[in-house]
Amino acid sequence: MTFYFGDLLPFSGQLAAALWTSVYITLIAMAVGSAFGVLLYVGKTGSNRALRSVCWWYVEAFRNTPLLVQLYLIYFGLPELGVNLNPTWAGIVALTLNNAAYTAEIYRAGFEAVPHGLVEAGQALGMRRSQVFRHIELMPATRNVFPALTNQFILLFLASSIASIIGLPELMNAVLNINTQTYRTFEILAVGGGLYFVVSLILSLASKAAESFFFRWGVSGRA
Amino acid sequence: MLRSFNWLDLESLLRGAVWTIVLCVTAGVAGTVLGLLLGIASSSPSRVARWVASTYVLIIRGIPLLVIVFFAYFGIPLMFPDIDLSAFLTAVIALTVFATAYMAEIFRGSINAVPHGQTEAAQALGLNYARRLRFVVLPQAMRIAVPPGIGFLIALIKDSSLVTVIGFVELTRSGTTISNLTAEPILTYSVVAVLYFVICYGVSRLGSWYENRSGSRMDTTEAENQPHALQLEGV
Repeated sequence: MTFYFGDLLPFSGQLAAALWTSVYITLIAMAVGSAFGVLLYVGKTGSNRALRSVCWWYVEAFRNTPLLVQLYLIYFGLPELGVNLNPTWAGIVALTLNNAAYTAEIYRAGFEAVPHGLVEAGQALGMRRSQVFRHIELMPATRNVFPALTNQFILLFLASSIASIIGLPELMNAVLNINTQTYRTFEILAVGGGLYFVVSLILSLASKAAESFFFRWGVSGRA
Repeated sequence: MLRSFNWLDLESLLRGAVWTIVLCVTAGVAGTVLGLLLGIASSSPSRVARWVASTYVLIIRGIPLLVIVFFAYFGIPLMFPDIDLSAFLTAVIALTVFATAYMAEIFRGSINAVPHGQTEAAQALGLNYARRLRFVVLPQAMRIAVPPGIGFLIALIKDSSLVTVIGFVELTRSGTTISNLTAEPILTYSVVAVLYFVICYGVSRLGSWYENRSGSRMDTTEAENQPHALQLEGV
């Protein structure tokens, strides 16, 4: 068999646009999902019993079922309840909700590593509860789990390819479309896989740089 | 012709769940064996072996499983036109390729987590590389690898839903068929989700039970025979 990548050249613009779609749905899902994940952690460890069990069930339900099934429930199931989402929104919502459950678990480890004495010290200094949470718990916890968070970001980027199954026009979807137009199956899969690989490699290098840039302050255990 | 969700549908979903388990056990076992070999290779003294193993792991971990599944589905018939692979075997191959990379990484980490003094002691006792691995390093590394290994098995069960795209009828695929027949996607996919939940949560409970059991057993009976094993628990 022979390889010929020339047929793919006319599609390079489409691939670039699709790659950008993949990146931005991942960015949205990561940003919103992480914030939601922190809330889930706070709810899971809070004083309200009902909220605690809701958050626990949320995290376990999303972590123990496939993203594809969650995607199907949102894309095919919600219209039954009168909520119609287009593939892009269904994909973003599914990735965000899924990511929130995973980040809640990641953050748990980070928050548990913050010594309780620091929180008490903050209170003794007269900080408000929100200040203590933000400066003494959230930021150090984020630093503790930053490598795990960026790892989750890369996994999420790879997982965003699953949204192609419901027709979200991201990279994998473009790859399959181009495959049916050119029949250059091997070549387009290699190019698509290569793009995913290069971006995840860049993300992992960038995360190392970001870690040393954002968390220079203070004494780091890993420094 | 639409019909409503009935007990027969539940039965075919259960059959799909069994296929999901069969698929994951097959790919999980194959991936563990191959991953162990790659894990040994990536911590071996041979530079070439290390390079081959780490490149494989880097590439497979850097591309989505969906790409691997499509590669197996379209690529194998292109490369070997004479072989007629079933959907099941194609799915097994794709998931094995995927699992091998992740298991290799788990084994590499576990082998590195065994304290270096163990290797040095074995060297001092005159054991060669193979024997050091077989009798000293691997037994300890295997223990360390159990919790992350079970974590990956759970991920594999969830990820196996992706082979639905090549038409292998496992749990998600049976869900799609029934959802299309009954036009009750919420009910159908909820049952599918519950079945996945039961399998995954069950495996994770089984994992913590095993960890507790092996941990407590080590405290009581094996502690005196294996003075180093206890300190490994914290690694």
